[in-house]
Amino acid sequence: MASETGLDRAAVRKTGVRGVAGRAGRGRWAREQRRALRWGLAPALSVLALATLAPAVWLIITSLTPLTPTDPGSLDFSEPWQNYQQAFSSPEFVRSVWVQVELSSVTVVLQLLIGLGIALLLDKPSKLLETIRTVFLVPMVLPPIVVAIIWKIIYTPAISPLHRLGAFLGVPFHSLITNADTAIWAIAAADTWEWFPFTMLMTLAALQMVPKEPQEAARIDGAGAVQLFWHVRLPYIRGTLVVAGLFRLIDSIKAFPLIYLLTDGGPGGATQVTNYYAFVQTFNFAYWGYGSAIAMLLVAGVFVLSLLISRAGGGMALDE
Amino acid sequence: MNSRNVRAWTRYAIAAALVIVVLSPALWLVLMSLRPNTDIMATTLAFRPTLHNYAEAWTGEFPASFGHSLSASLASTVVSLLVGVPAAYVLARWRFRGQHQVAMWILVTRMAPPIAFTIPFFLAYTWLGLMDTVAGLALIYVTFNLALVVWTMKGFFDAVPRSLEEAAWIDGASLWGAFARVALPLAAPGLAATGILCFILSWNDFFFALILTRTEAMTAPVAIVNFMQYAGFEWGKIAAGGVSVMLPVLLFTVLVRRYLVSGLTAGGVKE
Repeated sequence: MASETGLDRAAVRKTGVRGVAGRAGRGRWAREQRRALRWGLAPALSVLALATLAPAVWLIITSLTPLTPTDPGSLDFSEPWQNYQQAFSSPEFVRSVWVQVELSSVTVVLQLLIGLGIALLLDKPSKLLETIRTVFLVPMVLPPIVVAIIWKIIYTPAISPLHRLGAFLGVPFHSLITNADTAIWAIAAADTWEWFPFTMLMTLAALQMVPKEPQEAARIDGAGAVQLFWHVRLPYIRGTLVVAGLFRLIDSIKAFPLIYLLTDGGPGGATQVTNYYAFVQTFNFAYWGYGSAIAMLLVAGVFVLSLLISRAGGGMALDE
Repeated sequence: MNSRNVRAWTRYAIAAALVIVVLSPALWLVLMSLRPNTDIMATTLAFRPTLHNYAEAWTGEFPASFGHSLSASLASTVVSLLVGVPAAYVLARWRFRGQHQVAMWILVTRMAPPIAFTIPFFLAYTWLGLMDTVAGLALIYVTFNLALVVWTMKGFFDAVPRSLEEAAWIDGASLWGAFARVALPLAAPGLAATGILCFILSWNDFFFALILTRTEAMTAPVAIVNFMQYAGFEWGKIAAGGVSVMLPVLLFTVLVRRYLVSGLTAGGVKE
């Protein structure tokens, strides 16, 4: 995805607007150019500030209060840290973090492995394989609520083709989503189905940028397919795999429709990830202050992961 | 030669088998939506397809909710493009201090969990009277669409050679004149792709619509879930609603598949 823009970027970096302005005559003209540029940026930055900074500030404020919508006096700052203290001493919150860690790590690893496997399979110039590549995108672009409905059908024994298949093969099984031991795996399977195309696409793009010469050289030296992958291609795509994994990790923290529709966080909290916990506390129990504090903790986690992405993404650009 | 052929065909066969495995859950939904209600529980593939479920689904509040989805997604896309495209151009053409911070800000906006936006927006909307309105919904979609527009369009503008705009400047065009007559037309395919991506992201939203709408601005994804809660479990109707919601997205995806990854990783990957 990067090849054509690389040269231009370098040129842009070197000249910049000032350089161009210098060529066309300095002074007033350059100042006007810069003012015009500022006017282009201003609306976006103001909308972004209004739509993101203002809510962020407000979220910090409410997270320091025991706010609840029915009680106007609850915007009260006498014990600013109580929500955070309560969170860390709440077994339900701590459990939600562990459920999150479990679900996220399982899905990210599965998506990376499956995405990589299919990308390797499809990484050949061929019209047919290209069409297949597009078909594989379907799960990822479907509206997430439709994905949730699809899997609700698959996991509902009365209408499920999967349960019929199990019965037909002589291995009938009970509902996976109402069993506390299997529910998280059922969610993980659905989530993996939905998002493996993302890692597949990113990996494919990276594979296509691996230079041909080292591969040819390795082949002439008698390297087999496995050696070729492990020693030649993998080092080139490692950066992309890390970035794709981080993206999926961050998005997995936000997963909502699947859990909402399949298990509602149950059974007994077995699939209640932190995001869902914050949703339930805020919108079902009206603990707005407490919910804000949990949301703040999520934002903090996401911020750290974004910093990692920005580092890894930069590293990837250098590798190329 | 022969062994290479065998290997190629093995590759095709595995890929084709995987396509069937991967698509079958979604295809099952489509089949279910076409099944007559009398054998909705059946798993046979032999049945006479009917549009009865669609007729059922497209009554009551569902058509209106489809309209709400459409208006909120379109409005949000247009606003995000109007505000975001000039900003993207500036970021592509101008180096300034704090640029890195602006980039990071946009990335975090894209990454932040929706619940963090929803709590303050819910309170603000209740106060401003934007609760349960299409305008309110379109506005909150701008929070993620704007980041997407700025980032992907910056990439497209980076790819437009500056020399053409410089020529226009020398001919007396203003900065934004040259932008409108030279850079924007050259980035038009990117603009279309970005607009479609914005539309898909807004259309696919469930969480914001669930919390910020009730009846007046309820979107199609929320309406299908209501089929489940109020009407008992009319699976045929639910399946028909689901297929109706996913069809527009599938059509659009075909148009933008090349840009899907750069759109979804906007800001995180330096191209």
